[in-house]
Amino acid sequence: MDDATEVIAYNHHSPGEIGIVMPHDFIYSRTFTFKSGQTLPGFRLRYETYGVLNTTRDNAILICHALSGDHHCAGLHSTDDRKPGWWNNLIGPGKAVDTNRFFVVCANVLGGCQGSTGPSSTHPATNRPFGLGFPFVTILDMVRAQKLLLNHLGVDELHAVIGGSMGGMQALLFSIEYPAYTRRVLAMATTAREGAQAIAFNEVGRQAIMQDPDWNRGDYEKGGGPRVGLAIARMMAHITYVSDASMDRKFGRRRKSSGAGDSYNFDVQFEVEGYLRHQGQTFINRFDANTYLYITRALDHFDLPHAYGSLEAAFAPVQAETLVVGFTSDWLFPPEQNRAIALALLRAGKRASYAELSTDLGHDSFLLESEELYTLIRGFLETKAARVFDFSI
Amino acid sequence: MSLLSQPKARNGTLPSMTGAASSKVIEKRTVDMQIIGEWVEPGSRVLDLGCGRGALLDYLVQNKQVSAVGVDLNFHRITACVARGLSAYQGDMMSFMRQFADRHFDRVICSRTVQELDDPSAVILEALRTGKSVTVGFVNHGFWKNRFGGLFGGRKVRNEVYTTEWHESRPTNPLTIADFQDFCAAKNIRIIRRVHLSGNWRTPLRLLPNLFAGYALYDLARGE
Repeated sequence: MDDATEVIAYNHHSPGEIGIVMPHDFIYSRTFTFKSGQTLPGFRLRYETYGVLNTTRDNAILICHALSGDHHCAGLHSTDDRKPGWWNNLIGPGKAVDTNRFFVVCANVLGGCQGSTGPSSTHPATNRPFGLGFPFVTILDMVRAQKLLLNHLGVDELHAVIGGSMGGMQALLFSIEYPAYTRRVLAMATTAREGAQAIAFNEVGRQAIMQDPDWNRGDYEKGGGPRVGLAIARMMAHITYVSDASMDRKFGRRRKSSGAGDSYNFDVQFEVEGYLRHQGQTFINRFDANTYLYITRALDHFDLPHAYGSLEAAFAPVQAETLVVGFTSDWLFPPEQNRAIALALLRAGKRASYAELSTDLGHDSFLLESEELYTLIRGFLETKAARVFDFSI
Repeated sequence: MSLLSQPKARNGTLPSMTGAASSKVIEKRTVDMQIIGEWVEPGSRVLDLGCGRGALLDYLVQNKQVSAVGVDLNFHRITACVARGLSAYQGDMMSFMRQFADRHFDRVICSRTVQELDDPSAVILEALRTGKSVTVGFVNHGFWKNRFGGLFGGRKVRNEVYTTEWHESRPTNPLTIADFQDFCAAKNIRIIRRVHLSGNWRTPLRLLPNLFAGYALYDLARGE
């Protein structure tokens, strides 16, 4: 690297790339008790970090992933990778989440299947996958496990915790469970309470998996299992992540075959069918069916008003500054559910903002490449925290 | 730049404002800050309806340590507020206020917003429900220069504050001091204090405010 590249790499206004990153494993070897009361003798979280933890150990940003996400949110694992991490557009040197300034941490959730301990991990006693023998996981369990990781990494307090969808739920819980530890919360396309429609979609996905004979009550070999059911679950769920308008723009009624007319069979005719089948097929090669059951159940159980008496009561301990972002075309966690979070925080006397972006990309809009969103996030992360110092006795 | 002699529009726009003129605009835009700043109790809970980029709230947070929240419809203005470290909510002010209990806020501010509201009466009454007091600041369209500009110029009022031509302006519902005082009387709203400023928006004025005041500020509370 010559002087010129050095300058560019640290120029705030010319975003660069993180480059090659490596996953790490955090092994927790003491008993972990889940919210359900079930226990594990220990667990593993697979995680990545970008940037450097400063000497005051307070520049860390935790990124929380959504249902099917993982710890690999930025950079490349090798130069042969076709795609970078899932939030690479947001995270990197000079980007909205600036790795020149912040120490970014992202872990695969507890109960996940991308390297962290979950239903697809091998049970030490039986030497077979846990399957349905795995403890029931909640969003709270995911948050507690990540806090143990942050302690292990020597992070004294979080500059921010950021997440969309299920990641937003974790971010909110962080500020409730660890109020003095969490300075900023950025929650996008999320909800404080999984509603009936979202539970309904999760249930259809679970039924697709559980009605597949290869599910075998969750007892299947690693890499095997209900491939058809899991693919169907993903195809359906994918529809809930986009929108009528965005699908029509992307596919319209375009045909797969060259013939423009109707062919009277049930092979793939429309491009949208081919696309969904492709989504389903890619998913089964990287995701575990039992894990899908567990994590959708964790989403279903997420209900802050119920867990704490009311949403205001849930937010009572919060010390963080919160920014909630909703997206007009998100019909899985619509703007109204995002507004409700900011309003309850404000009613509880907390510092909270709500911003709404007009997009037609549906729920997945939070992953959008948008300068407007980047400016908002950068502004939120880089303000001097208006910390209230109470000198009264 | 005189308000009376409206500058002739060239290509439909006002000549770009430089030097003294632009600083005069900034001065006018910040005039209510100082007065509202004097009215606001230190450490109180303040809601700003139509908070824009958060200049007023920022001033109140810096100088009066208020706990502040602003409401605005525009994403970019909310972004500006967030970058200032302010709490800001993007959305409709009426549905926002309905989410809060009676007297939740110590003060609700409506600074140069009333003339653009769909239903000013409903907004002010709702603000008087959720706020212990309500501050309203507005440009007095009864000010003689505004009257004469319309009368002799034969044009929509244009000046340092209302810079745009009719066809590029948001809908406005201009009001005068007399209109506003009639409204308060009709709705049994108590006027706790008022300040009328002359055409320079600086010098307080007592005589014939509806004719000679350029800007008016009212501090309101619910009638007994």
